[in-house]
Amino acid sequence: MPSTPRSLQNRLLFGVLGVVVCVGLGTVVMTWRDVHHELDELLDGHLAQAAAVLVVQQAQTVGEEPPSDGADAPVLHRYAPKVAFQIFHEGELTLRSANAPATPMAAAGKDFKDGFATVSIGDTAWRVFSTYGAKDDVQVYVGETQNSRDSILWAVLRSTLWPMAIALPLLALALWWAVSRGVAPLRQMGHALALRQPDTLTPLTLDGAASEMLPMVDALNALFGRIALLLEAERRFTADASHELRTPIAAIRAQAQVALAETDDALRRHALHNTLAGCDRATRLVEQLLTLSRLDAADAPAMGDVDLSALARQVAADLAPKAIAKGQTLALDAPTPCHLPGNDTLLAVLVRNLVDNAVRYSPPAAHIQVTVRQQDGHCLLRVEDSGPGLEEAERARLGERFFRVPGNPEAGSGLGWSIVKRIAAVHRLQVQVERSTELGGLGVWVRTTA
Amino acid sequence: MRILLAEDDPLLGDGLRAGLRQLGFQVDWVRDGEAAERELRAQPYTAAVLDLGLPRKNGLEVLSAIRQARITTPILVLTARDTVPERIRGLDLGADDYVVKPVDLDELAARLRALVRRAHGQPQECLSAQDVTLEPASRAVQQAGVAVALSTREFDLLHALMLNAGRVLSREQLEQHLYSWGQEVDSNAIEVHIHNLRRKLGNSLIHTVRGVGYMLARDTPTP
Repeated sequence: MPSTPRSLQNRLLFGVLGVVVCVGLGTVVMTWRDVHHELDELLDGHLAQAAAVLVVQQAQTVGEEPPSDGADAPVLHRYAPKVAFQIFHEGELTLRSANAPATPMAAAGKDFKDGFATVSIGDTAWRVFSTYGAKDDVQVYVGETQNSRDSILWAVLRSTLWPMAIALPLLALALWWAVSRGVAPLRQMGHALALRQPDTLTPLTLDGAASEMLPMVDALNALFGRIALLLEAERRFTADASHELRTPIAAIRAQAQVALAETDDALRRHALHNTLAGCDRATRLVEQLLTLSRLDAADAPAMGDVDLSALARQVAADLAPKAIAKGQTLALDAPTPCHLPGNDTLLAVLVRNLVDNAVRYSPPAAHIQVTVRQQDGHCLLRVEDSGPGLEEAERARLGERFFRVPGNPEAGSGLGWSIVKRIAAVHRLQVQVERSTELGGLGVWVRTTA
Repeated sequence: MRILLAEDDPLLGDGLRAGLRQLGFQVDWVRDGEAAERELRAQPYTAAVLDLGLPRKNGLEVLSAIRQARITTPILVLTARDTVPERIRGLDLGADDYVVKPVDLDELAARLRALVRRAHGQPQECLSAQDVTLEPASRAVQQAGVAVALSTREFDLLHALMLNAGRVLSREQLEQHLYSWGQEVDSNAIEVHIHNLRRKLGNSLIHTVRGVGYMLARDTPTP
C-alpha cells in the first residue's frame, strides 16, 4: 500500500513547534531545579540564622524563670503561622511560637540530630532545623511549612509558564503563516504542472521560484526537452518512413499497370521485371526500417567477444557473388584475428552495409578492398572502392535518414548509413568517411575507440 | 501531348514514362530539379509531372522559380508528402494539381488532360471544330458522327491545333508538341501529317499561314 505523502508544510510546522515546546519545557525544568536549589539554600540559611538568634537569646535568658508551660511568642506577620520555633531545656519546652506544637518538631532525646530534617506534623510537611543551644541540654527547633516553599516555587514556575502558554499558540500561528508562505512556490509549481496539458512539453516557467527549486525546475525542463526531442524524432521518423514507402509502392503500381496494358511482349516483360525489382526494393526498405527501429528500441544489446576478421570474411563471402555478377573484384585482407567486445549480429549488419554500399554504388569492373587490422591495440576495419566516391558536402550528409546521394542510378533506401552510424554508436566505434587514397573511390574507416 | 516528367526514383520514373506513353503522351524524363527547371524554361511542354523530393533542387523550388519566370506550363505535383500544409504550400507556389503517390496511371492521365484543357480555356473534355470532334481520353476523332482513323502523330497534331484553335502554330512548335527526346524528326514530317489530316478530314479545317505555320479556325459561335 502506498504511504500517504506527508505535507511538507505540516512537517515543518510541527517540527519547529515540537522543538520550541521541548526547548521551553527544558528551560522550565532547569529553572525549577535552579530555583528549588537556591530557594532551599536561602530559606535553610534563614532557618539556621533564626535558630542562631534563638540560641543566643536563650543563653542570655538563662537563670530567669521560664514560663511554666513555655511562653508563646506573639504572631507578628501573616506569614508567621508558616514559621514556628521551639526551645527545649533539659527536655522541657521553654519557649515556642504560637503555632508550634508542644512536642519537639523533629527527633529529640537520644535521636536528636543537629541539622535539617523534613518532617510531617499533622498533615503538614515541615522543614525543621534542629540545633543545640549554648549548652547541650538546650535544643532549639526552627521550622517552616514546606508548602510555603512550594508556593514560592509554583509562583516562579507560573511566571515562566504563563508567557510560554500564551506565546505558543501565537508562535504556532506565526509559524503556520511563515511556513505556508515559504512553501507557496512549491504549491504554485504543483498547480502549474497539474494545469498543463499532458502533451505539453514546453519548458516550465515559474515567477518567484525559490532558489532551492531551481534545480528541480531545471531538471524537469531538461526532461521535457529530451522527451520533446524524442517524440519529434519518433514523429519525423514515422512520417518519413511512411512517405518513403510510398515511392516504391507507386513504382510497383505503375509498372504493374504498364505490364497489364502493354501488348508488346518485350516491353511487358520489362515492366514485370521492374515490378519485381520494386517489390525487392520495398522489402529491403522495410527490412532496413525494422533493423533501425530495433536498434532504436534496444539500448543495450547483448555484448560478447567478436572477431572482426572472421565477421568480415563471412560478409565478403556472402557478397562476393553480387560483386562478381557486376564484374567487380572484391578482396579481403584480414590475416590475423581482431577481437573486440560487441554484438556479432549488429556488427555483421554494420560490415554488410558498408561492403554492400561499396558493391552497390561502384560501377562494374570496380575494385573493392576490405581490410581488418590490429593497430596500436585498436581494431580497424577499412572498406574502400574504386568507384566515383562522394563530394565532401555529400559525405557530411551521409547518415541523415533517407538521404540519398543525388543522381545515383542505384535506388537505395537512404537508411544504410543511419544503421551503420547507429550500430557504431552502440559499440563506441569511430566511423570516418573519406576519399580512398589507394583506390580513389570512397574509403570508410571503422575504429574502436576504447 | 508532350509532357515533362521529373522523378528521381528510377523504377517509378520508368513506370510512369512507359504508362503515360501507352496512354498517348510524349514523355521526357528528367531525374533532378535543376534539369527539370532547365527543360521547363527551354521547351513549351503541354504539362509537367513534378516530384517534390528531387535531388539538387527540390520540386517546390523548381515550381516557384519557373512561376517567377512567368512560365505557365500546367504542373501536376506528384509526391509522397500528403499533409494539408504541404498540399497548400505546393498549390500556393503555383502547382495546378497535387497528387499523392501511389497514383493510378489512368487517373494521372485524366488529371493531366484536365490540366491541359483548363490551361487552354476549354470547359469540356471533348474538343470540337466545325463538324470534327476529338476526345483526348479515348483518342477518338469523329467527323459528322462518323469515326475517323488517325495515326498517333496525326491525332497529336490535330489535338495540338484544336487546343490552340485561333492561334497560328509554327512548324517548330508543332514538332515540339509531337516528338519527345531521341525521336527522329524528318524535316517535312509536319507537312506530311498535315497533308494526311486534310485528306481524311477535308481541306477547310486547317489553314496554312504561309511562312508562319498552321492554324485551326476557332468556331464562330452559332447565333
